[in-house]
Amino acid sequence: MNRKKDKGFESPRPFKLTHQVVCINNINFQRKSVIGFVELTLFPTVVNLNRIKLNSKQCRIYRVRVNELEAPFIYNDPTLEVCHHESKQRNLNYFSSAYTAAVSAVDPDAGHGELVIKVPSELWKQGDDLKVLKVYIEFSLDQPKGGLHFVVPDVEGSMAERGAHVFSFGYQNSTRFWFPCVDSYSELCTWKLEFTVDASMIAVSCGDLVETIYTHDMRKKTFHYVLPIPTAAPNISLSVGPFEILVDPYMHEVTHFCLPQLLPLLKHSMSYLHEIFEFYEEILTCRYPYACFKTVFVDEAYVQVSSYASMSIFSTNLLHSAMIIDQTPQTRRCLAQALAQQFFGCFISRMSWADEWVLKGISGYIYGLYLKKTFGVNEYRHWIKEELDKIVDYELRMGGVLLHPTFSGGKEKDNPTPHLHFSIKHPHTLSWDYYKMFLCKAHLVMRLIENRISMEFMLQVFNKLLSLASTASSQKYQSHMWSQMLLSTHAFLKSISNVSGKDIGPLIKQWVDQSSVVKFFGSFAFNRKRNVLELEIRQDYTSAGTQKYVGPIKVTVQELDGSFNHTLQIEENSLKHDIPCHSKSRRNKKKKIPLMNGEEVDMDLSAMDADSPLLWIRIDPDMSILRKVEFEQADFMWQFQLRYERDVVAQEESISALEKFPTPASRLALTDILEQEQCFYKVRMQACFCLATIANAMVSTWQGPPAMKSLFTRMFCCKSCPNIVKTNNFINFQSYFLLKTMPVAMALLRDVQNLCPKDVLNFILDLIKYNDNRKNKFSDNYYRAELIEALTNSLTPAISISNEVRTVDNLNGDVRLILEEITRFLNMEKLLPSFRNTITVSCLKAVRQLQKNGHIPSDPSLFKSYAEYGHFVDVRVAALEALVDYTRVERCATELQWLLVMVQNDPTHYVRHKILGMLSKNPPFTKTSDSALCNEALVDQLWKLMNSGTSHDWRLRCDAVNLYYTLFGLTRPSCLPLPELGLVLNLKEKKAVLNPTIKPELGVGAGMDTAASIGIHGVGMSFTAVDEEPDPISLGVCGVGQPPQGLKRKAETPLGSPPEPGQILQQQDDDVRDVRGAGRYKIRFNTMEEEDIDMETVHDSQAFIHQHLNLLERPSTPGKEPLSVEQAMLSMPATPVPSFSKETTSSSSKHGGEHGGHHHHHHHHEHKKKKKKHKHKHKHKHKHESKEKERERDNSHAYSNSPASGRSLRSPSLSD
Amino acid sequence: MMQSYISEIGRCAKAYCEHTARSLPTLPDTVVTLVEMGFNVDTLPVYAKRSQRMVITAPPVTNQPATPRALSAGQKRTHPSHIPSHFPEFPDPHTYIKTPTFREPVSDYQVVREKAASQRRDVERALTRFMAKTGETQSLFKDDVTAFPLIAARPTTIPYLSALLPSELELQTLEETDSSEQDDQTDSENATGNNISDDPGADKENSMLPPGGVAPAAKASEDNVIDNPYLRPVKKPKVRRKK
Repeated sequence: MNRKKDKGFESPRPFKLTHQVVCINNINFQRKSVIGFVELTLFPTVVNLNRIKLNSKQCRIYRVRVNELEAPFIYNDPTLEVCHHESKQRNLNYFSSAYTAAVSAVDPDAGHGELVIKVPSELWKQGDDLKVLKVYIEFSLDQPKGGLHFVVPDVEGSMAERGAHVFSFGYQNSTRFWFPCVDSYSELCTWKLEFTVDASMIAVSCGDLVETIYTHDMRKKTFHYVLPIPTAAPNISLSVGPFEILVDPYMHEVTHFCLPQLLPLLKHSMSYLHEIFEFYEEILTCRYPYACFKTVFVDEAYVQVSSYASMSIFSTNLLHSAMIIDQTPQTRRCLAQALAQQFFGCFISRMSWADEWVLKGISGYIYGLYLKKTFGVNEYRHWIKEELDKIVDYELRMGGVLLHPTFSGGKEKDNPTPHLHFSIKHPHTLSWDYYKMFLCKAHLVMRLIENRISMEFMLQVFNKLLSLASTASSQKYQSHMWSQMLLSTHAFLKSISNVSGKDIGPLIKQWVDQSSVVKFFGSFAFNRKRNVLELEIRQDYTSAGTQKYVGPIKVTVQELDGSFNHTLQIEENSLKHDIPCHSKSRRNKKKKIPLMNGEEVDMDLSAMDADSPLLWIRIDPDMSILRKVEFEQADFMWQFQLRYERDVVAQEESISALEKFPTPASRLALTDILEQEQCFYKVRMQACFCLATIANAMVSTWQGPPAMKSLFTRMFCCKSCPNIVKTNNFINFQSYFLLKTMPVAMALLRDVQNLCPKDVLNFILDLIKYNDNRKNKFSDNYYRAELIEALTNSLTPAISISNEVRTVDNLNGDVRLILEEITRFLNMEKLLPSFRNTITVSCLKAVRQLQKNGHIPSDPSLFKSYAEYGHFVDVRVAALEALVDYTRVERCATELQWLLVMVQNDPTHYVRHKILGMLSKNPPFTKTSDSALCNEALVDQLWKLMNSGTSHDWRLRCDAVNLYYTLFGLTRPSCLPLPELGLVLNLKEKKAVLNPTIKPELGVGAGMDTAASIGIHGVGMSFTAVDEEPDPISLGVCGVGQPPQGLKRKAETPLGSPPEPGQILQQQDDDVRDVRGAGRYKIRFNTMEEEDIDMETVHDSQAFIHQHLNLLERPSTPGKEPLSVEQAMLSMPATPVPSFSKETTSSSSKHGGEHGGHHHHHHHHEHKKKKKKHKHKHKHKHKHESKEKERERDNSHAYSNSPASGRSLRSPSLSD
Repeated sequence: MMQSYISEIGRCAKAYCEHTARSLPTLPDTVVTLVEMGFNVDTLPVYAKRSQRMVITAPPVTNQPATPRALSAGQKRTHPSHIPSHFPEFPDPHTYIKTPTFREPVSDYQVVREKAASQRRDVERALTRFMAKTGETQSLFKDDVTAFPLIAARPTTIPYLSALLPSELELQTLEETDSSEQDDQTDSENATGNNISDDPGADKENSMLPPGGVAPAAKASEDNVIDNPYLRPVKKPKVRRKK
């Protein structure tokens, strides 16, 4: 634990940003491009500030000026291509470390950035007086793949008529994708934002809209926003579109925006926002920090909710009309989440990534309070249980989730989470699932803290943090005040101890500094002689994702005489706990039994053990430990617990326990709870499914009509004709939810032949037939969708005689009926679409199920057509899910290809993310299974996808990594040829490619190749040198997948499209320019000794990678550099397989042996060596220069930490 | 000739009588008529008293054949009290009683529901089959593309509109049920969450919900006083603000 003890915030940068102007003067929807400039006002905090590192991705930068002087700059983004394009290295361990290195190399929290600006020497002297520097950057974005998303429907009319819009998005700090900035949550400044848009459009952004002014031609207008509250760049957003405006009728400073035609929905959906506002302001006793609030609803949203300073961007699919029941609570939840993040996350920002959990935890926690107030305690407790189950399940399955990672020394060796296939050092390397679980755990831990210190204190702490921040925010720039708006774990804990006076250290240590959850096994025995309950609580702390718990635990025992709480101490070695019982067993006396809540009830005690006074026992009933409890008690005890315990969590636990006791008594208990209207509806819904399970287990002894049938008839059918359901009236929501659930659960019933009983199927078909919604004021689309799901559930595998093709003729009669309904529903949906096309979604699932069960021929074409862009997103996702399933079942390579192509090309980010997510969840094959699909081409394709194809979207890249991990595991995929063989082949291939063009000068080509191997930045650098263009950025920008000829254009014009690194490098070999470039390159090599800045930046990231290589390389000897990238890669298999390593060594030697034969490779390595030497020199120099850098840190860190160490910044490309 | 003469006399006599606002012709009317027709009335008594006039004997009185009783259709209705008894009797009941000729409609709930359901289903099936026949289709079976035809999925340019906006049919239903169940809704919404606090604003809020109606109008006037930056007019560029 290396938490910062000092309260003040230390900026990793040698300057402090105070103000930033962002001006976007042109947004072209046709070309999907953006042109603008930014101006950053900085205060140097060191003398002689000569370099400024900023973040910028995919922007094309035209010029940079510092205080009106043209400034040279370098653009270098190692995350574009993580590993060398040509490398045949395919193991995920290698990728993960390289990726982490690349992200670290530009991490703004460490003071790094992709854009390095050299401060003109004229200004250096000024540095002494710590004068203001104004950095002016002109930039443009062309068809951005990340950061900004353009939605341009392809219809007739002007852009406004078409509903074209654009909005910013991103996962964590991603603002650098759309304008250059310091993309860190901890660098606050005030903002001036100007957006010039078409006169028919509206630009919504952060802060207060000061004025809107027409341009001179009156065709455009400029929106001027001012954000006086210091805000971090990642919290800045923009959305532009022909929005309809709705001023909130209750709060005039709140404005809502939606796309054309949706205004009525917006009015309805936003009609309760003011209540959420009131709630938060009341509990936090703090006014909403910003002067205004804006909500924007956009299509093709990246996530459902994203919060930015004083505005939130939502998915337009959250809007709903008054007729929709199911969407209403979901939308309200999303609004509440967004608003909670306004306070904690936007207004109060985090100090570092390690402190993320505090902010997410607090916002999640107050969101929970809102849920409790709005939806009730039952709903809240149900939600907490759900979240707890989720995190417990995830951690036990995947390993621990660490809230507060500390990285002492920044070495990967101290990786706190070795079980993960990604690094948790950066938000951008996290898997999405992990991040979701992280959020879940954060708010649960906040709740644990609340349990410890009371809610009152908790709210006081929040209030204190907010008031400190708002005091700070109103100050003019003073270097230390604004840091009050940053929250760190330390400051939070200190505030807690100040307010409450309690020490929550152990709690924090257990849940925050340590990952994993606790797993309890409980059992008991009743000692009649001593009248003592002997409780045994064991723990499993050896399997993955578990930890040992020591401390108090609450146990609630319901006895005949009442309910009693006991607090036991879980200690190292004590397993058994004796709990004295209060009551004697005396079942004969008729007496009411008092419950925990004071209620007294009559119970039928005939089922219970005559000797024991125990009714039921609960371990940790308040969920005050992040745990999983497996407790053993008799079935009648579970039944008592279900019937009489008033806590919904206890009821749900007992329902899941009763699944193992298929007895008539369980059936009765479940039926009773199902009928009981006072019971929480979600418990009743769960009881439906449990009842179905039990009925199936009891199939041979089951008596009476199918489970739930008579109950359903009693509740929902007409009195006069019990086979007909009443016309719909969803006024009572509880029974609405039950109405929806019961058929679905009933369809799971099976008879002795394991078929769905005829009764049940007819019953469901009748429900569909007699469904009548004419008199209902609510839409029944969700209900109908559930009925289709019920039909789906009733399907059982077809009896296949042989592998004959399924035809219409041999269709089973029941299936024919089902199919007819589905066809009709699906067709009707085309004519009268339902809300969110829920019915289509259900139908697609049903069709897939029919296919899977062999009733109809398995065919992906239907799903493919529904998965196309242009369908509603829910429909697409459902169709894609079916396709993913098809791919798995049929092991179809073409479909997998189709899906992967869609991942690369689909316009909607959410859909791409979803495809990869579904593929990981339902993989066509796994690392343990063999499959024909697993071949080299697929490995290469996926590798390329995560290596370079997804550089524009952090989330997507992590999804790709996840999929790769699921399919191939951490080590080299087994389907690849043996590494030795592969290497030889590769070399030959390479030779074959390169040899024809290799001329004596071609050593250079190889050299460049090497540069590329380190990452794209290398290419960028070398070409800057080559072309003498004041436009290195365009090279740095270069994304993969762009037309290769772009390079030549680029060299001539900065507007050209960027090249694809790998391809070009080979293509250009015969280019004259390259020959010229070769010469230059050599020259540069000569000058390299004199601290060439270009090479330095190359090293910045390169150094990282090599550092990791060294770390991973088992026989690594410090100081000895790997001969080549390939070799290094090969000599570090993740799991040390001895034979494997032998092969690698032999292969590397072979590789080495070939050097003489191949000129090209020779140069290749020579180049590398030179670089390495160079690097070492730097290292030594640094040691001399700065003594505090003596510890073994990589030198890029050293650079960044001493940017003012007098290093000259010189680049041949920068001619003033 | 004779007949027309006599009927002419009768007609004229009737005309004279009606002329004097009577309904039955009297002797003078006939006399005037005869005079008018150029007949010497004075000769009439002479003619009547002539000696050789023929005496026509009265026809033998035959028994009036009893008219067969009309088919009696039920009891004749007696006059209600406000009609004097001297007025003519009601005609036979069959002249005014209506006898339903169709069968009594089935009002049994079950059958009605059954019928409504199958009707709707038939309409839907016919409609979808028609759409499927006339448009592009997808099929679940390779061998028989006509079985279970599915209307082809066609991507739309703005998919969220149709998915989010309620269809016209639903809107119509909403309007019908809206007025009657306004209050119920408020209750039930409070009932769903287990303890939604009794916020006085909640009721007001719900009454604001339905699209149309009073709320927007009220808000429109409100908006005029709201100082929201997005509602302010766009400023003209200043001359000095040249870029």
